[in-house]
Amino acid sequence: MRRVAMVGAGMTQFGELFHLGIKDMLPMAVGEAVASVDKGFDRGDIGAAWFGELVSTDGFASGILADSCGLLDIPVSHLENACATGNDAVRHGVMAIASGMYDVVLVVGADKVRETSTRTTFWDWMGMTRDSAWDFPLGLVAPANFALHVNRYLHESPATREHMAMVAVKNHRHGVSNPKAQLRFEITIEQVLNAPMVVEPFGLFDCTPQSDGAAAVILVAEDVVDRYTDRPVWVRGVGLGVDRVMHAHKRDMTTFPPTVKAAKQAYAMAGVGPGDIDVAECHDCFTGVELINYEDLGFCERFGAHKLVEAGETSVGGRIPVNPSGGLKAKGHPPGATGVAQCVELFEQLRGDASNQVDGARVALAHNIGGPTAVSAVTILGTARGG
Amino acid sequence: MTRSNTTAGPDSMITAVGTYLPPWGAARRRTPGLDEDAVTLCVAAGLAALRSVDPADVGRVVLVSRDLPLIEGSNSAAVLAGLGLRADTEICEVIGGAPAVLDALTGAAPGTLVIGADTSPAGAAAAYCGTSGAALTASGRITRSMPVVTRDAFGRRADYADPRLVRVRGLGASLDQLDRSVPIAAAAGLAGRDAKSVCATEPRDLPTEGPSAALFALATLAELGRPAGQMQRLLAVEQATLGLADLGPGEINVQRDERAPRPVPSGTTAPGSEMSISLAAYERAFDAKLRLVAARCRRCGTLAYPHRYRCLGCGSEDPTDAVALPRDAEIYTLSTIHVPVPGLVSPYTIVVAELGDSGVRVTVRLTGAAAGSVGIGDRGRLVFRLVAVRSGVPDYGYAFLPDDDTEVTA
Repeated sequence: MRRVAMVGAGMTQFGELFHLGIKDMLPMAVGEAVASVDKGFDRGDIGAAWFGELVSTDGFASGILADSCGLLDIPVSHLENACATGNDAVRHGVMAIASGMYDVVLVVGADKVRETSTRTTFWDWMGMTRDSAWDFPLGLVAPANFALHVNRYLHESPATREHMAMVAVKNHRHGVSNPKAQLRFEITIEQVLNAPMVVEPFGLFDCTPQSDGAAAVILVAEDVVDRYTDRPVWVRGVGLGVDRVMHAHKRDMTTFPPTVKAAKQAYAMAGVGPGDIDVAECHDCFTGVELINYEDLGFCERFGAHKLVEAGETSVGGRIPVNPSGGLKAKGHPPGATGVAQCVELFEQLRGDASNQVDGARVALAHNIGGPTAVSAVTILGTARGG
Repeated sequence: MTRSNTTAGPDSMITAVGTYLPPWGAARRRTPGLDEDAVTLCVAAGLAALRSVDPADVGRVVLVSRDLPLIEGSNSAAVLAGLGLRADTEICEVIGGAPAVLDALTGAAPGTLVIGADTSPAGAAAAYCGTSGAALTASGRITRSMPVVTRDAFGRRADYADPRLVRVRGLGASLDQLDRSVPIAAAAGLAGRDAKSVCATEPRDLPTEGPSAALFALATLAELGRPAGQMQRLLAVEQATLGLADLGPGEINVQRDERAPRPVPSGTTAPGSEMSISLAAYERAFDAKLRLVAARCRRCGTLAYPHRYRCLGCGSEDPTDAVALPRDAEIYTLSTIHVPVPGLVSPYTIVVAELGDSGVRVTVRLTGAAAGSVGIGDRGRLVFRLVAVRSGVPDYGYAFLPDDDTEVTA
């Protein structure tokens, strides 16, 4: 297998981008990624492209990427893997290069959540990830999928809603300096706890906003990396884990087994462990999910997540900063773009260019969990080439 | 003019009576839950009546209601599935009131289950006619027209609003044509004042006024402890149409599924597109979903709910056996949705509950209790409810009813 480097990364602003269509957002993100390549980049070098998008906007997804970004002479594929779409698209790009088939691959993720009224899109989005006869008609809305886990987690672990609120406060604080973030303001524990309830135990400030956005990264083979940069970020490990889809079939809902499986694969491939991670972008679609992620990713022992956030260890400046970009919580969550945007943030972190820089970051981890908590993708990046 | 003059068939025997009242509203004026309709009410009452009956003995079911949810499409298949009766059981849907229930009962062959259901006020009751119990004999019948209230096929209702007219020229004039030599012990289908005027003794309040009222009256008479050897006369009224029946001596097993009433919870609805349905998926899931039947792997015994092609335990793809699941349930986890959801009323609670010692969990909605009023570890049982109405199709399944100390015991 060939080693794979990330040499460019870019993204649009995340937010309610009513003024931009998908065909505007895609070339904007790709253009920023191209412009970030240190020694310049010719789009003609791209051998293939992968486009992660959860819900197709304006029709045929891969065609729209090819058409809007001038990629008409290469293979372009559309990929959908629920909220793990972004990091899974990166994984496909890595496989394409590692296999020797392509030297340069473009990976793009995007979604246009606010393109239609939430009222009309509601059941359409639900229908994509719920069994038509069984779970769909119950009204098992996206937050409820995670709430079923987090309520059981709160029941079994010492963590409380206050610990969840600490995650929201931290991620909002982190997002303030990120010019791409959707919610750039600080909040207090009291605001989080007193906010209107959305889906118990998630109040308004425990939830990610609804976002539009696009993100892109350029991956190249080790053989050609010198053409593009002298300070590449290496893709050290990738992993993807799945689980049973119906909640009734998940025996222990205090954990997300897909995360454990994806992380295990990625750590093994990278030859590192949780203790080696200097900075992480993990899937905090709901605050309590970030607590469970700490445990599933191995950042602390089982039911020890509350201690991490209490001690500020996952804040920038702490032992293992999580979501310096603001995370999904403050940066925003256009599902297809989210994982790719995590890699954009970590690309900047590992090159020392991030807006909320973690000093001396050398190994970084990106993580998604989604699709009724049944799929997770993990990507490990590093400044060192690796073994 | 009256049936007693013209027919002399064998008496039918009332063996068991079951009643059901939704827990919402006032004591004697219940409101159906958002997940209830005449079909789920029929199932709840029918199951109460059948508690002491072998389902294999039920050969015929008669549903009497003016509130069945579908005019076209099938109410009956859902009722049979909810009752756990075989799909080849004879069943008919009768549009009618309390007199129609007496007709169905007095002409019933052994093995007949007669169910009456009303949605306003809400309640349902059922009587199983077997080979033991108390005889019920028709003793009068008259059908006259006094349509002071009408409802057409589109549900449009008109009310002539003249209670004195219906009292004098409806009830009164019809009663004059019946045999009044035997005092009336109970009157179904009449409001309190009118019931008082026709009953020999102080009438018992009945919770409904439509077809189920005749069966609630039967339950009340059966529970009263009738003087030995004496028969009691029951009057059933719908506008100017009347039926009389005499209940003979003998024990009737009465089972009530009734809880203390509580205020109807408030909720908000969100405008927007309603839930779509795949009828292909509906049909594939129907038996498992409405009969609460799991698939047991023939190789390793693992139960799968819903049934699936490949075994959860050992991966076997061999045929499976259908197994009824236990209905007692304990909450493993839950969540209450407060945000408005198009097509649903918020807040609502979804629970993942473990069924008995089967190891099977189900994801279902909470019923019979205010959203958010239950917690992890709470116990209850699964009951047949309306999950959603999707593109005009009632989508039935099960919901979690928490245990409650206000159950009425027979």
